[in-house]
Amino acid sequence: MLSEADDSTGKNTHEAEEMMNLKVLPLDICDEGTQRCRLGPGLMASLGLRIGAPVHVTVAGGGCLCTAWPRSDLAEGFLQLDTKCATVDLITANFKDISVSPRHIRALCSPKLKGVSVKVVVQSMEIKKYSSDSLIHDLVKDMLRGIYVAGKHIVDVSHLKSLVELILIQQLDPCSSDTGLITAKTSVKIEEIQTLNSYRCQLQKSSDISVGGMEDICSAMKEMLNLPLRYPGALQMLGLSCAKGVLLIGPPGVGKTMLVRSVVKEVGAFLVTINGPVILGSRPGESEENLRRMFKRASDAAQEGPCVLFIDEIDSLCPKRAGSTSAPQNRVVAQLLTLMDGIGSEERFVIIGATNQADTLDPALRRPGRFDREVIIGVPTLHQRKSILDSLSSKMLLSDSVDLVALAEMTTGYVGADLSALCREAALQAILHSSQESESNSVDMKHFLEALKKVQPSCLRSSIGLTEFKPITWDQIGGLEDVKLKLKQSIEWPMKFPEAFTRLGLSRPRGVLLYGPPGCAKTTLVKAAASSTHCAFLSVSGAELFSPFVGDSEKAMAQLFRQARACAPSILFLDEIDSILGSRFDTTAPHSVQARVLSVLLNELDGVGLKTLERRGSHRMSCQPEGTIEFQQEQQMEYQEVCNKDVMIVAATNRPDALDSALLRPGRLDKIIYVPPPDMQARLAILEICTKRMPLESDVCLEELAQKTHLFSGADLENLCKEAALLTLQEEGMDASSIKQKYFIKSLKNPSLKAQQIDSYQHLFTN
Amino acid sequence: MSKPALLSLHQALKKSFQSLEENQKVWNSILDECKPVLDSLGNLADQLIALSNVKIEQGPLNQFPELHERLRFKLLLAMDTVLGKLGEKMCSLQTVRDSVGNQVTAVFQVYEQHADALDLTACLQRSAVAPSIADMLEWLQDAERYYRQQYIRRKTLLQELKPNDLSDLQSAPKRWEALATPNGEDRISDALFRVSLFLDAQ
Repeated sequence: MLSEADDSTGKNTHEAEEMMNLKVLPLDICDEGTQRCRLGPGLMASLGLRIGAPVHVTVAGGGCLCTAWPRSDLAEGFLQLDTKCATVDLITANFKDISVSPRHIRALCSPKLKGVSVKVVVQSMEIKKYSSDSLIHDLVKDMLRGIYVAGKHIVDVSHLKSLVELILIQQLDPCSSDTGLITAKTSVKIEEIQTLNSYRCQLQKSSDISVGGMEDICSAMKEMLNLPLRYPGALQMLGLSCAKGVLLIGPPGVGKTMLVRSVVKEVGAFLVTINGPVILGSRPGESEENLRRMFKRASDAAQEGPCVLFIDEIDSLCPKRAGSTSAPQNRVVAQLLTLMDGIGSEERFVIIGATNQADTLDPALRRPGRFDREVIIGVPTLHQRKSILDSLSSKMLLSDSVDLVALAEMTTGYVGADLSALCREAALQAILHSSQESESNSVDMKHFLEALKKVQPSCLRSSIGLTEFKPITWDQIGGLEDVKLKLKQSIEWPMKFPEAFTRLGLSRPRGVLLYGPPGCAKTTLVKAAASSTHCAFLSVSGAELFSPFVGDSEKAMAQLFRQARACAPSILFLDEIDSILGSRFDTTAPHSVQARVLSVLLNELDGVGLKTLERRGSHRMSCQPEGTIEFQQEQQMEYQEVCNKDVMIVAATNRPDALDSALLRPGRLDKIIYVPPPDMQARLAILEICTKRMPLESDVCLEELAQKTHLFSGADLENLCKEAALLTLQEEGMDASSIKQKYFIKSLKNPSLKAQQIDSYQHLFTN
Repeated sequence: MSKPALLSLHQALKKSFQSLEENQKVWNSILDECKPVLDSLGNLADQLIALSNVKIEQGPLNQFPELHERLRFKLLLAMDTVLGKLGEKMCSLQTVRDSVGNQVTAVFQVYEQHADALDLTACLQRSAVAPSIADMLEWLQDAERYYRQQYIRRKTLLQELKPNDLSDLQSAPKRWEALATPNGEDRISDALFRVSLFLDAQ
């Protein structure tokens, strides 16, 4: 009776304990490799477990197969487990501060197994090569004896410090059972032996890297890797040697390294990376030795599966030998070349090099047999930016207001790295704002716009022409309506209505020349044009272009164009172009710098073609059904790209007669716009804008002023208003509250323009 | 709880601990015998290395024809004999391992048979003269695993020896010594001490 009473109270306490979570403690040393899990005896009794009975414990996202043993101190509420046979997730799991509910411990019924098939992971390649199969078979059999196993579980035998590290259980013989005990009579079949390195490499494969906007390059690379790696036999039968090297060329930040990583993971290849600085050693011959060792590693790894040897920043490792005088450097280059030649067709590994300065590479490297193919990754186009933004923001919580297409249009010249910085910045903004206003945590369009101010495109960062200016709207410029219209036509319309332009077979003008008397808002007009469109705006003056060294100016000019093209659509503004270029017919200096810069400009504007390194994007097929909204959007973007892949030149001058005539022909600066001095209406508009912030006396008549200021330029009018205000302060003291008409009249001076001058401008291109 | 079940389990435990004690002695004696054999293996490897370094043709011994090959053959022959001896020793180690393994399996079978009759609390009961059944089962399992692991390690070491890797052969005795884990050995002795009263009691 008494014992029964004891039992019932015992049961109650057990039920109470069932609710209590078990604290996971680290394993005792003596229990390591025993497959035991230590439980409190009460819990064991409530679960109906005998000593040594198999249990399955679900913990930390994985599962683990153990045998139940009572704790030696008989304490309840703790769990210690040996993860000798566990799922993949538990191999690297950390059991710190984890608790397990007793419901996660499940008693199993495990029969003795007839047979089991396994994969074996051994320490190194040598063991795989030189150890006999029977030895490994015996070892594995001995190791597995007396262990409970389950399908898809991994038996960790690394504590034995033997040849074998891990045993992956594939299938159990009575297929009906999930788990089972391996006895001396169980037959063990080894399906595959692989090395620890390749196993780890396979494990990493599961984490995916998404690369947006490089689908075509990605698939080309995959094909290139897959063909020689997966079907070497077929190629040999055709008598072909397969491509062994790929050189990736592209500006920094476009995702060359990431592309390689993602392709390698998708193909499931082993990746060996070479970094220039790690290879170079201080002792003579050390660098070459390191290089040889890396190639050895790659060819070792290639013996059991596809392998990619990736040389990042290959320009640092393999510069031109002709120009350098450093013998050690030349030896490293020679070693690399010979090693690349030494890869036989039976060795199945592929070399990928990445660089952003392809022209500094040794020319011997860029021939078939070494780097067979060169893949150029340009600055992303609109489409690519859209898909990069898509893939970047797929993990972000975006609110509905975010328009990724608009963002892609705004981010001309941004590369992948810039876009990811942009997204990060936007997310940071969202976090900052949400903590202040305790709003929802989603990222808004305004956060992106805020981030856009902070993140500048990296391809423009070192550019000489990058300028920052206060945005100006068209309304801030008085008068000049027809000039504004012409500018809008040639700059704004191709960006906003690309569809209409393609429909009518129009192409946007290559260049625009604004000429007119000084002070008539030519520069301001260009600023307004730039701020009304979201394209990159580069402005350059003579000061940045000219240098005392011969050839430097031309180089700077060419580089400017290269950068502008990289982030097209862009506007390149050449203010005071007459001083930069001059005319070739100017007899005073026939071979001056100006003439040479002019020839560069003419070439860039209308040359034979682009350098191959500047290739961007490629034609892609749209596979979406017609008529959907997405399709229309796609079409819109398509037109946008077709229309705006070029750089637009905007030049301004007040001495158009000094320009070379070759520059003014159609196809170069084909849109020539005269910016006239303001007429009566325009002067009134300008005066209104200038006096908007000034308190005026009621007697001030702007119309009268406008009539009196014939031949005044816009700058003159602005000056007039300033003078009048100053005069007011001078005459009436510092307390003056408003400006009177008489002060305006007093401030009237001679206009800066002359009638004759304006006549000459007007008749310049008419006859 | 049922008395007969407990009694038969105790019987089985006693029997297997007794056999464990005997097997431990046999195991240790075999290991002791192995030591000089391995030393001679290392010695032979030393001699082979010395032979490959010396240039007999330049010394006074160049009168003897094919001395180098003959010496080498002799040494290799000696090495084969030594390895043969080691193979025998490994066989006896294996018999020890198997006998311990069989004993332990038998005890667990007895436990399984009577598990329904035996309460868990009964299995955990410790007394002044006898440790609990759970503890004893644990010690037996530990001992069995210890012998199995030791056997695996020593066998791998011998299997990995290659005739052309002399430095590997040379270091074999040292590595053989390093495989011994006094910790595991001590734990078996400990367990045996703890059950000594239980074994003596009738």
